[in-house]
Amino acid sequence: MTLTAEEILERLKEKLGDAILNYEIKEYKMGVKRPRTYQEIWMEINKDAFRKAVEAIFEIDYPHLHFIAGEDVGEVIKMIYSFGVFHSHPWGEVSIVMKLDLPKSNLVLPTITDLMIGAETNEREIREMLGIEFEGLKNKRHLFLPDDWPEGKYPWRRDEYGVEDMIKHTHKSVKEIRKQRGGQNG
Amino acid sequence: MAKTTYYVPIGPIHPALKEPIRVEAEVEGEKIVKVDVKRGFAHRGIEYMGMKRNAIQTLYLSERICGICSISHPYAFVIGSEKALGIEAPPRAQYIRTIIAELERIHSHILWLGVIAHEIGFDPLLFWTWKGREKVLDILEAITGNRINYSMYMIGGVRRDLKESHIKALRDMITYYWEFTEHMKEVFLSDPVYKARTRGVAQLSKEMALKFNVVGPTARAAGLRMDIRQDIPYDAYADMDIKAVVPQDIVGEARGDAYDITMVRLYEIEQSLDIIEFCLDNLPEGKILAIPNYVALLNKIKKTEGEAIGAHEAPRGEVIHYFKYDGKRDGPAVWKVIAPSYNNINSWAPLLLGAEVADIPVVVAYIDPCMCCNDRVAVVKDSSGRILDYSYLHKKAVEKTRKLEKELGVRK
Repeated sequence: MTLTAEEILERLKEKLGDAILNYEIKEYKMGVKRPRTYQEIWMEINKDAFRKAVEAIFEIDYPHLHFIAGEDVGEVIKMIYSFGVFHSHPWGEVSIVMKLDLPKSNLVLPTITDLMIGAETNEREIREMLGIEFEGLKNKRHLFLPDDWPEGKYPWRRDEYGVEDMIKHTHKSVKEIRKQRGGQNG
Repeated sequence: MAKTTYYVPIGPIHPALKEPIRVEAEVEGEKIVKVDVKRGFAHRGIEYMGMKRNAIQTLYLSERICGICSISHPYAFVIGSEKALGIEAPPRAQYIRTIIAELERIHSHILWLGVIAHEIGFDPLLFWTWKGREKVLDILEAITGNRINYSMYMIGGVRRDLKESHIKALRDMITYYWEFTEHMKEVFLSDPVYKARTRGVAQLSKEMALKFNVVGPTARAAGLRMDIRQDIPYDAYADMDIKAVVPQDIVGEARGDAYDITMVRLYEIEQSLDIIEFCLDNLPEGKILAIPNYVALLNKIKKTEGEAIGAHEAPRGEVIHYFKYDGKRDGPAVWKVIAPSYNNINSWAPLLLGAEVADIPVVVAYIDPCMCCNDRVAVVKDSSGRILDYSYLHKKAVEKTRKLEKELGVRK
């Protein structure tokens, strides 16, 4: 049994109440000879209700995680999570796109790897690219960035923690490594 | 007491991979007891570069994300951009896009079949399948002008039209591949040695597939009916009733191993032929670009605010692009790309645990079918001083096949 976007939204509203700050159902028409529409749920939620919202989605149907992305917009980092529920059904998949504002003073989110181990890759990437700490994430090694990447530099940040002066820092770091290794080629 | 385990590093440069990745395995006797997968050797910061360019430049940049299925990323890019900007591609363009995408699926799947045959030790099969693949590459070259990076798609349509001669060549190709696939099915699926070598190797259950968030043929072989073309159809796919190819529909059960993946890929080639045939039969007339003037297109992008997700089912699994256009620039303000291997590589570690050394090439190759033809030697000695390199692993794989062949009475 699949649910429509409206029904899913009703269930989420029941569970989350005021934590949903705003929502929208986007409709897209696809097809030439037999045009049909499909719907996507886009909503913004309060960051404190994040874990509850993810659990509510997992209760509806075991989702497929599309992506986790983030955007640096000044005072806050806008996180974007996209889940697909009711995949494996013709015309049935509904994407739930969840956005939340994380203030830069407290860049911490609970992990979802305990619910879905495959999310580890996404969380590790966001962690190294935007500097967001995931509480409960076990593997915190770099995913794409080299192991000797300078600390406190996040490639996707647009503030002073971004990579404007990356090259300078990288060279410095290589020099330091060479020094540590006692003059050998690092 | 002497150390009983030894350490086998594979990669970052490895002949079974299109991209550099490192698999570090700890081996006890013939069994793998510990695995670690490291990636990030080829991270080029393409998303970052894309956010600094205009949308048309970024579209061609997205084509360079993957060297083999170079249409997958532009497809997701144009779908997402059109959704965000409210542009609708003309019907004819939508059908042409679908045809190109399916042609690419055929060549990618045949390429993978060749690679897996090589890993197991059937080199003549590699040459034969890749020779068969030339036909579809020739057609792609005839239509788009390029064999690999096609530069065919545009936001709101395609850049080149299909001519009568192309349609005729495509119909010939369909006849050719029906026969060729029939033959491939016979060679791969009924060969006892191939079966013995792939049954039970790289076995992924349905629950694991869900938990590890895997996509594409890897997920379908495990029995998940997951296919973007069926779940959220777009373009010409929306006019058809596409059904995901899963092993349980073909043989009654899904075991999720390398044999099932082979089966899924072979049947998907046939499905692609059906889709191309449908598109040719129903090809609408008309223009191929919604906004033929690129300056006008960039101006429109500059004035439009919007965000959307573009998804496309690439040969190896779904490709997802997230966009945000902020109405101030002519390029995406935020661009996030998820490629199928991003998710599928998650499944390597659990699959390799407990597998045999001879199966490493099969497991490593089973989700990611591209060759980079870079056979470099890493010198590793095991506890007895024997040197283990890639050719040793490949030799082990071939030896296992030969042994099985003798046992099954295929070779004396």
